[in-house]
Amino acid sequence: MKGGAAQPGNLVAWVGMGVLLAITLFPFYWMVNTSLKPQSEVFQSPPTFFSFNWTLTAYGRVLATRAVGRYFWNSAVISVGATLLAVGLSALAAYGLSRFRMRWERPLILLLLFTQMLPGTLLIIPYFQLMAKLQLINTYTALILAYVSFALPFSTWMLAGFFRSIPLELDEAAMVDGCGRLKAFWRVILPLSLPGLIAVGIFTFLLAWNAYVFALVLTTDPKMFPLSVGIANMMGEYQVLWNEMMAAAVLATLPVFILYGFLERYLVQGITAGAVKG
Amino acid sequence: MERAGGLRRERWLGYLFVAPMLVFLLGIILFPLGHAFLTSLYREAGVNIRFVGLGNYARLLDDPTFWNSLGVSVVFTVASVALHLVVAMPVALFVNGLRRGRTTLRLAFLTPWMVTPVLGAIAWVWLLDPHFGVANYLLRSVGAISENRIWLGEPGLALGSIVAVDVWRGFPFIMLIILAGLQTVPREEYEAASIDGAGALQRFLYVTLPHLRYLLVVATTLDVINTVRTFDIVAVMTKGGPVNATEVLPVLIFSTAFQANRFGPAAAIGVVLLGLLLIFSTLYVLLLQSERRERRI
Amino acid sequence: MTERKRVRTSGEGVSRRRVLQGLAAVAAVGGTRAAFGAAPAARSGTVTLQYQTANLTEKQYEPVWKEMLARFEAQNPNIKIEPILVARKDHWTKFVTAAKANQAPDVVAVDIATAAYNGYLHPLDDLWQAEPPSFRQAWTADAIKTASWKGKLYGLPSWGGIYGEIYNRDLVKQAGLDMSKPPFTWTEYLQWAKRLTKEGQQWALAVLGGKTDSTTRMLLMWIWSNGGEAFNADMTQATFASNPKTLEALEFYLGLDVTHKVVAPGAVNVNYLEQTTLFAQQKIATMRNAYWGVAKVVGDNPAITDKIAVAFPPMNTGTKVTMATMAADSISKDCKHAEAAWKFIKFVNDREWGIKRALVSNWMPLRTDLATDPEVKKDPMLVQFLEYGKVARAYPLPHPLWADIAANDIVGAVQSALLKQATVKDAFSKLDAALNAKFKEI
Repeated sequence: MKGGAAQPGNLVAWVGMGVLLAITLFPFYWMVNTSLKPQSEVFQSPPTFFSFNWTLTAYGRVLATRAVGRYFWNSAVISVGATLLAVGLSALAAYGLSRFRMRWERPLILLLLFTQMLPGTLLIIPYFQLMAKLQLINTYTALILAYVSFALPFSTWMLAGFFRSIPLELDEAAMVDGCGRLKAFWRVILPLSLPGLIAVGIFTFLLAWNAYVFALVLTTDPKMFPLSVGIANMMGEYQVLWNEMMAAAVLATLPVFILYGFLERYLVQGITAGAVKG
Repeated sequence: MERAGGLRRERWLGYLFVAPMLVFLLGIILFPLGHAFLTSLYREAGVNIRFVGLGNYARLLDDPTFWNSLGVSVVFTVASVALHLVVAMPVALFVNGLRRGRTTLRLAFLTPWMVTPVLGAIAWVWLLDPHFGVANYLLRSVGAISENRIWLGEPGLALGSIVAVDVWRGFPFIMLIILAGLQTVPREEYEAASIDGAGALQRFLYVTLPHLRYLLVVATTLDVINTVRTFDIVAVMTKGGPVNATEVLPVLIFSTAFQANRFGPAAAIGVVLLGLLLIFSTLYVLLLQSERRERRI
Repeated sequence: MTERKRVRTSGEGVSRRRVLQGLAAVAAVGGTRAAFGAAPAARSGTVTLQYQTANLTEKQYEPVWKEMLARFEAQNPNIKIEPILVARKDHWTKFVTAAKANQAPDVVAVDIATAAYNGYLHPLDDLWQAEPPSFRQAWTADAIKTASWKGKLYGLPSWGGIYGEIYNRDLVKQAGLDMSKPPFTWTEYLQWAKRLTKEGQQWALAVLGGKTDSTTRMLLMWIWSNGGEAFNADMTQATFASNPKTLEALEFYLGLDVTHKVVAPGAVNVNYLEQTTLFAQQKIATMRNAYWGVAKVVGDNPAITDKIAVAFPPMNTGTKVTMATMAADSISKDCKHAEAAWKFIKFVNDREWGIKRALVSNWMPLRTDLATDPEVKKDPMLVQFLEYGKVARAYPLPHPLWADIAANDIVGAVQSALLKQATVKDAFSKLDAALNAKFKEI
């Protein structure tokens, strides 16, 4: 059972995993279940697990009363923008770290780690003031910049590991052929590290898609709300319509699941490389 | 992997590659951080803002709320990170051992990590509702509890519930990292150990774990840094209550700043948290360098 | 919209770094363009006012405010109102963050004492005094006082909630009690409570112990109903434990949970949401709430509409006293168009909207001249609540630390007592000491 590539045959292991899997997935099942219930059934005691009254009304109401499409678009733009910028910056930096021995490598790693450690709540106000000075409130840019700064440390680490697994000889071969350093990077190394780049991309995308507090503070125009803020607004102090709330949560989560379904193995590859050689 | 000696002359090129990221980080982070540190040196009373130097920091030493929060943070982080490992390890081993269905199972276990923390927490609040939530119903049905528990309302239980939700959300990523590490363990060593008569547990302890050590150190350190900063889950589920039982440091920072309008003291707590993490991660880097040196062939 | 193209390099050409810099620049420009696109076009002479109150995200208010804003803009083509939607729990955070960067929304509804004390609000005295007496006399001196800080007016009282005791007729009848004779004294209330409680199934009431200021509202009402006070006259001393009548009230109210067990379990997690949900699902038979609570439970469970009865909350002294919360519209310090903002605030407080808020959202108007309006008189429950309003004391209490005290310190003491971590007396003695220390600081 443990260690080695042997097929786990132990019944205890299978049962244990089954239970764990059930606990892991149960909240999602309950989200969907609640989102399909009519309002009158939401509070029924004992709660129903499956109902012939399942309906898509809650989804309909959410889509009709909230600009979910707009929130979705905002989240997408911000996340994609942050991803592209993060991939670019971290790829460059990771290449530098993996190919050159620098005296300041250790302080650099410390700095990366340091930025990873900053608590968000400490930074909201000064960050808002900075963005206000730059007239970047209610822009995609402000959020993109913030999220990239959150994602850079881990992305750089992961990509550095990935690059290290690519032999130096390839760089040298390219340079012998007449490329400059930069071209070697662009032409040879990057294409080889596509899985790593995708991994960084997914990681950043998820970070940006899920972020809440900064978006809450930096956007005042509802037309600029990302999904996380738009949905959180549905929690009134007096009233929470659980079926609509869960419907909105399902709508917000589904695209991420789909994206991950397709791209997850790249994330695994990226982490593998980063883990092994990082 | 060795870097060719001939490339050392191009060290300045290395800095050039790193420069864009560095400039970006410093620009985005430096000003807010500096501002936060400056704020921590002042105390406000309405419109009067006085410079108090390190006064806010000195006050923290006597402040029971701060110490309580620090304690809660420590307990929360240690429990959460430990359980991340305890849950992720068997799952990773199991998934690694599968011949078929590995990707599907991996994806299935990854799902909690993909959900927006706020939304996940809201779903859990609904699950744990004392009167109408399904958790109480299920647990009563199987006889695990005799009456409805108030999962977020009893001090010990509330902290436990928060830890449980954080474990649910956080173990998948650790699982991925461990899975990655398991790929690096050479098959031959397992076979050799089997031939020597080692059982499953011994194979795990003497073959698998040593190879994973470095990775576990990295993963744990990153996990600690991330877990200490957990804010969304706690803010949504308990707001730090009941009676400060779940008031981790980020929640304290937030409520000091925005509820009590004491930005100076809040910034001070934030800087202290930062300082603690800095100490912790310096140890990590030192550990990392020594581990790396050990592994270099 | 921002365009992001994959730039193809060829031969010697563009370095990757330059490509990235280009992307970043495009992103910045595009982002700024998006900003201009998102904000309303500023035609010359047009003023845009940002309007932020926590109610804009409450479902029961939506139809009213949307119509209100549309009508205002139609009547004032030079003024555009930009509503800022934010969940109630994040309203203050967002406001403070913006205020600290001198970008606070123009018109806001916030806690007057705290906001004024921290310098976030624009005094309204000049604008107020410029209005004719016929306008000004619609507000009582008391209401104006509650919206003032250190002698200056900072908000126009807009709406509020008046508290009563709301009963579920059916559950009352099932317990063999007579709804036409609701309990008036505490003793009667306790008797009712015991009969209305069926272990595990149903309870008489829910005690609010959650980490919001609604916990404190309940507490104050029970204290006042015993003739007690939580603070001294100028709010420099806390008297929760030192005032015997206050302590008695606390012991009775919290004793309903701790001793008599007529309270729904999990009190430390109960705020308005949980309380009204419990009532709507008929798990509790009574709830101390304002008229909006009725709208909320009916929205949750329309079947309960005919089962609702309202009575005056039980008193321990002969004198009737209840609570009226107050929300006021203010102008932030950063507002550059104070006159336009004042015009909007007056519009929001027009008779028409006051009445609509009362009838649709069930929020009490704070103008005294609306009680006699025929529209209002058509709703007997509304009239009943307005009657109660005549003996109501204003909330929040005027202290700059109120938001913090009410949602933090006082709640902490309540929770300690409910969780039996300390006796009521000890918990609230500690509270008194802590509050007195805080008061000395400012």
